[in-house]
Amino acid sequence: MITGLVTESTKFVRATVVRATTVVMVLGISLICSSMLQAVHTADPQLAAKLGPLIEPGGWAGYLTVAAQVTGAAGLLGYGVVLSWLFSREFADGTVTGLFAVPVSRPTIATAKLLVYLAWGVASAVALALALVLFGLAGGLGALPADVVPAIGRQLALTVLTAVIASPAAWAATVGRSVLAGIGCTIGILVVAQVTVVAGAGAWIPFAAPALWAISGGADVTTFQLALVVPILLISAALTLRSWHRLQLDR
Amino acid sequence: MAEHAVEARGLIRTFDDGTGIRGVDLAVTPGEVHALVGLNGAGKSTLMRLVLGMLAPTAGTVTIAGRGFEQTDWSRVGHLVEYPLAYRELTCRQNLVLGARLHGVMAEEIVRMVDATIAELGLSQYADRRTGKLSLGNRQRLGLASALQHNPGLIVLDEPTNTLDPAGVILLREALLRRADVGAGILVSSHHLDEVARIAQRISVLNAGRIIGTLDPRGVDLERSFFELVRRDDVAA
Repeated sequence: MITGLVTESTKFVRATVVRATTVVMVLGISLICSSMLQAVHTADPQLAAKLGPLIEPGGWAGYLTVAAQVTGAAGLLGYGVVLSWLFSREFADGTVTGLFAVPVSRPTIATAKLLVYLAWGVASAVALALALVLFGLAGGLGALPADVVPAIGRQLALTVLTAVIASPAAWAATVGRSVLAGIGCTIGILVVAQVTVVAGAGAWIPFAAPALWAISGGADVTTFQLALVVPILLISAALTLRSWHRLQLDR
Repeated sequence: MAEHAVEARGLIRTFDDGTGIRGVDLAVTPGEVHALVGLNGAGKSTLMRLVLGMLAPTAGTVTIAGRGFEQTDWSRVGHLVEYPLAYRELTCRQNLVLGARLHGVMAEEIVRMVDATIAELGLSQYADRRTGKLSLGNRQRLGLASALQHNPGLIVLDEPTNTLDPAGVILLREALLRRADVGAGILVSSHHLDEVARIAQRISVLNAGRIIGTLDPRGVDLERSFFELVRRDDVAA
C-alpha cells in the first residue's frame, strides 16, 4: 500500500488538473461569496432586493450561509471532475497497461487513488475555509464573532462531506473508462440532491444532507441522517475496487 | 530442463467482431528472443495481453517461470504493451522512479538503476524534462526503459520499435541482447521482419488468431516466406 500511496501522490500533486481545480474551487467559491456580499450593499436597489434574501441574516452568518450553498454545488462539481480524471486518466493515457503485471495489485492502486483524493479533499476544505475567512475580512465583515466559529466548522465539514458524496464518480469513471462518465455521474448526483431538497426529502438523501445541514446551521438534519454519507463512500469504494480487481483490457 | 520464462497452452479468446486468439501454444525459454510477426489484426496484441493477464482466456493456461498468475513473481516481469508507462506531468526520471517502485525495486537501488537506464537508452538530455514535452519516439524510449530497468527475467514488448528513430532501434536491440545474454526470456512482436531477424532465435507467424508456422531468422528472403505462409493459411481457411 505504501508503494501505491507514494506513486499516486507523486502523480496527483504534479497534475495540472488537480492544481487548476484546487485554485478554481478555493478562489472561485470565495470570490462568488464575497462578490455577493458586495452586491447586496450596492446602490442598485433591484440587485440588493434580489440578493438580499440569499445572504440573510447578513454579516458573517449570512456570508457563510451563501458559502455553504455555493460549496454544495460548485464544490461537488470540482471534486467530481478531479475524481473522474483520477480514475479515467489511466485509460485515456493508455498507462493502464503498465498497471498490470506488476507486484502492486490494481485494487491497491485504486485504494491509493481514493486515499490520496480524500486527503486532498481535507486539505482543499481547510484551504477553502481559510480563504473564506480572509475574503470575509477583506470584504469588511469585521472581526469574527465567537458565535460564527461553529459555522466555519460546518463549512469545513460540508466541504469534506462534499468530497465524500462525489465518490460514485470514481466507479462511473472506471466502468465507463472515460472522464465524461464520471462527470456525468457527478451531475446526476447534483440533480438528485436538488430534486430531493425541493421535494422536502433532502435530509434523508446523503447527496443532499450535508449542504442542508450546513445551510440550516445543523437544525434540519440529524447526525444519523448526516452519517448516511458513510455508506455512500463505502459502497462506492467497494464497487470501484471490485471493478479494478476484475478489470480486463477487452475494449 | 530449465522451466520456460513463459509458457501458454491452448489459449483461446475471441471477440464479437471475429478477431482474437484461437488456440495458441507458445513458449519462451530463458535467454531466448522469441518474435511474433503477423499482419494487423492477426492477434499479436491480444496474445500479449493474455500472456500478461490483461485479458482472461476463454480456455487455456499461462505460466510464468512455471507458476500460474496467482503465484507469479511480477517483479521479475517487464513489459510494454501498446502505450508506455509515462505520465505526462512527471519528468523522465520521475517516471522511471515510479516504474521502479511499481516493480518492487528496493528504495536504495532505485537511483543507481534509473541513472543506468537513462544512460543505456540515451535519455540523458531528457532526464529532467516533463514527459508531456517529449516526442513520441522519446516517450517510447522512456516506456522501454521503464520495462527493462529492473532487469526482469521475462520481457514482453508489443511493437517496441514503433516511433523509435534508427538510433533508438539500435539501442533497444543492444539492450535486449544484453538481457537475453544473462538469461532473460524475451517475447517481442513486430511488423519489421528484418529487425526481428537480427535478434530473434525463433520467429512465430500469427495469422487470424493462430500460429501458422515459423520463419528461419537466418533465411534469405523472410518477407517472401512470411507472405507465402499467410497466403497458404488464408487459402486453407
